[in-house]
Amino acid sequence: MKILSSLCAIAVLTTATATVNAQKVDTVVGGLNNPCGIAIQPETGTIFVADSGAGRIVKIVEGKLHNVVTDFPIDVYGKGPKFNIGPLGIGFLGKNTLVVGGGGNIDDKERLRVYDVSGGTKKAADMVASFGLKANEDLKAEGNYYGVAVMDSGIFVTCNGDDTEGWIAKANHKKGKVKNFKRFIASKEATEVDAPVAVTNNKKGELVVGQMGEISIPEDGLVTIYNAKSGKMISNHEVGLSDITALAYGKNGKLYATDFNWLDTKKGGLFVVDLEGEDSEKVVGLDKPTAIAVGKDGAMYITVIGTGDDNPGKVVKVSW
Amino acid sequence: MTHPSFRMLLLGTALLFVVSPLQADHHLPPKGLKPLKYPKDNPQTAAKIELGKQLYFDPRLSSDDTVSCASCHDPKKGYSNGERFGIGVDGKEGGRNTPTIINMAYSRMQFWDGRVYSRTASLEAQALGPIANPIEMNLPLDKMEIKLNKIEGYRKQFKAVFGADKIVKEDVAKAIAAFERTILSGDAPYDRFKAGDEKALSAAAKRGMDLFFSGKKTNCVACHKGERFRDDAFHNIGVGMDAKKPDVGRFAVTKLEGDRGRFKTPPLREVDKNGPYMHDGSLKTLEEVVEFYAKGGIKNPQLSEDIKPLKLTKQEKADLVTFMKEGLSSKKYPMVKAPKLPK
Repeated sequence: MKILSSLCAIAVLTTATATVNAQKVDTVVGGLNNPCGIAIQPETGTIFVADSGAGRIVKIVEGKLHNVVTDFPIDVYGKGPKFNIGPLGIGFLGKNTLVVGGGGNIDDKERLRVYDVSGGTKKAADMVASFGLKANEDLKAEGNYYGVAVMDSGIFVTCNGDDTEGWIAKANHKKGKVKNFKRFIASKEATEVDAPVAVTNNKKGELVVGQMGEISIPEDGLVTIYNAKSGKMISNHEVGLSDITALAYGKNGKLYATDFNWLDTKKGGLFVVDLEGEDSEKVVGLDKPTAIAVGKDGAMYITVIGTGDDNPGKVVKVSW
Repeated sequence: MTHPSFRMLLLGTALLFVVSPLQADHHLPPKGLKPLKYPKDNPQTAAKIELGKQLYFDPRLSSDDTVSCASCHDPKKGYSNGERFGIGVDGKEGGRNTPTIINMAYSRMQFWDGRVYSRTASLEAQALGPIANPIEMNLPLDKMEIKLNKIEGYRKQFKAVFGADKIVKEDVAKAIAAFERTILSGDAPYDRFKAGDEKALSAAAKRGMDLFFSGKKTNCVACHKGERFRDDAFHNIGVGMDAKKPDVGRFAVTKLEGDRGRFKTPPLREVDKNGPYMHDGSLKTLEEVVEFYAKGGIKNPQLSEDIKPLKLTKQEKADLVTFMKEGLSSKKYPMVKAPKLPK
């Protein structure tokens, strides 16, 4: 009886900041400059990274970085701390078609670009297609295409330009061709919280979006689930995270999130999210994590911005 | 006039014996507002709210028995004080405008710089600060406890509400917070218009509303969004940034350079009653506020990207003001009269 009581007490003491043990964290590659996007190439399993501050897309081959697309425009994000950003979210549409969300232009000129990555190194201007969301009579221009999720029902892109509406945009795709990139869900109107950033899909084919919220407000991040066809909100969850940058379902079916935690980056990391509760459980602390891709082995590959020259940007592998 | 939700709670007193505290907590807020979340360790009860009201209006919570919470957060003045700055004991003046407490029950952060944060109990966390602050009520909390424990009427009520023989500061905070959670404003002409009553707003207010929600024309809604017309976030719109030594605002809390000169977005419901405006109380009227925005704020390195000069006609500026004055003022304003204080 006493043992049971003790176990109960321990369970009660387990909070959002608790760390799940028994995972292994390895650095896959370092030397990156504000990496903000990651995707795993179908068939080959090669990891592609948006090395945002360096204005390039790279792939990791035998532990080394190889340029895939270079010379993206670069802009400065934030008013302090400030980050150089270029390409942001990335996602594969088939083996050789890479969709890249841009962040290096002003909103009116920002592009969602599509590349054929089968050949040698390309320049940013060598895209096979590109799209923008310009201002119109009623709406501001969009930009900072942070998250890209390629699903059967479309390509979904989170946008961080128009902070009045917080658009999640959608493009159609057919036979490997991308078309009709349009504003789809006004996430700020739906949730009253700023900045859709993380985006993925669940087993039901629903859209799962992480709302970053305000960077100077703790614990205002949301996970919101939408019908991917209609855009209708299905549910909205406070999960005890501050600045959600990426979401991914693990092989175990659990939803994982990276929390950048601008206010206190020491509290940032990878978390397992409980949509039924109001808290998330820390898996591992990471210094400004930005994106997640799940490998066939079930490991999570995560881009991390890091701090200064001593701890520059990298990709880490979290495995169990 | 007693606020409807408060009346409802008073009526519900008898029912407290037959319904669980959880059920009693889930009373409906005014139309247009979401249900409130209550701290698990501080459920609302009618007796606690009444006790909190007495404490809120009681000047004995100050060192010289002259200043109460209500002195600065006066129901007759939109729960602010009508002055540029807060004024404490001996006429001491603070450095910032007194924020209203209307609908603050929904906020996780309190004060202009958000230095008090709690996911569910920010009002409890805030309540004692002004009492102890030397330029506000100037009563150290240990002395406050001694003072209150000498008042039999309080001792009896605290015993009934919290079950403790001694009055402690934590329970004082809980009672005041419970009262403040009843100061809600909704069901304004804007809410009725939104619900389908097209006659709820005048033509000028409708035009002002369209302007207010226009992302391109004014972009007010970038910050004053949602049911409370605020985002609970921090923005630098340039107010006071041309001073020799500007108030750094949120930067003092976070030390993030981007937070320099940022202050929490104030709520706009009942805004016509709680001027002067801005964290430094530098703008006397809503007309001056609109003019400030129309000029594009005051330039500084951290100025929000949403603040740009606006191309507004004289009529459009007037319409915006009409919307705020007419559209966001409820006939059910949460007016509360000072109660009889215990002896």
